[in-house]
Amino acid sequence: MTLYSLFIASHIIGTILGAGAATFAEIFVIKALKDGVVEPLESDYLKTIYTVLRVGLIVAVISGFGFLFLYRIQGLEGLIYETKLWAKLTVVMILLINAIMLQARKIPLLWGSAISFTSWYTAVFLGLFRGISAPYFEILAWYVLAIVAVGFVLDKIHNHFGVKI
Amino acid sequence: MTPILSTILLTHVVFGILAVAGMYSLWMMLLKREPNSANLKRFSLWSLVFILISWISGAYYYLTYYGAAVKPVIKGGAYPWAHLVVMEAKEHIFLFLPFLLAVVLVAVIFSGTKLGQDEKLKSALTFLVAVMTIIGIAITLSGLVISGAVR
Repeated sequence: MTLYSLFIASHIIGTILGAGAATFAEIFVIKALKDGVVEPLESDYLKTIYTVLRVGLIVAVISGFGFLFLYRIQGLEGLIYETKLWAKLTVVMILLINAIMLQARKIPLLWGSAISFTSWYTAVFLGLFRGISAPYFEILAWYVLAIVAVGFVLDKIHNHFGVKI
Repeated sequence: MTPILSTILLTHVVFGILAVAGMYSLWMMLLKREPNSANLKRFSLWSLVFILISWISGAYYYLTYYGAAVKPVIKGGAYPWAHLVVMEAKEHIFLFLPFLLAVVLVAVIFSGTKLGQDEKLKSALTFLVAVMTIIGIAITLSGLVISGAVR
């Protein structure tokens, strides 16, 4: 197995774990908060999901930097200044700041969930559609718009299931 | 670049990221009402070990390869500021991190299980770890900026 294959396999696995866990985190939060009380078993499930999410994030970030390392030693340094890469890094930074703000209870759960969910899927989207050549701020503008849309949809879902936060 | 130097550069990158991940985890733990002291000790110790490995491998790479083969390319290229500003800042700010992590480790060891009750110490440590994490992330991104300028 070459270093490139190792990094690509790890990056895909990390992203699957992260985006999958972010999705299930949202589903389980809705299920857990339907009665306004998080039972010990529900709390246990959520802790497991968040652990998977963190592992996915670390694996995806390390393998992502692995690619950049390969660009460096293969003489493809120009790829490191690609706007899509820096947009992806910005999204990951926002994801990290959001997790801190959620932990410190400085952001409402609804918007924290919307940011986390959208950020993971934005990273997946940017990884899947490699041909995108949009400017940095255009990518971020779409990302912000997606957060607002996801927040709006999540609010409707919370209301539908009677989630009590 | 020889395979050994490539491995050393990869070691610098991977352990640097692991150290930043450790610092970020410490920040998350300190935000809890009752931080788990065993986990705090474990994460601060491992983060210190990781940053030292990244520090030593980075220093070796800089002294044996970067200074002679990479620095002149960056300085003569389209982005000379990547060395003159970013690398100069990175290599000096990076020096602080192992010492700051050692401070956190000592504070966590000596406060033991009482950290949750000592709000003043907990706030100070949270602030210190937050600053360290931000520095760590900035240094990581600086590494990217420097690598991208080698052309």
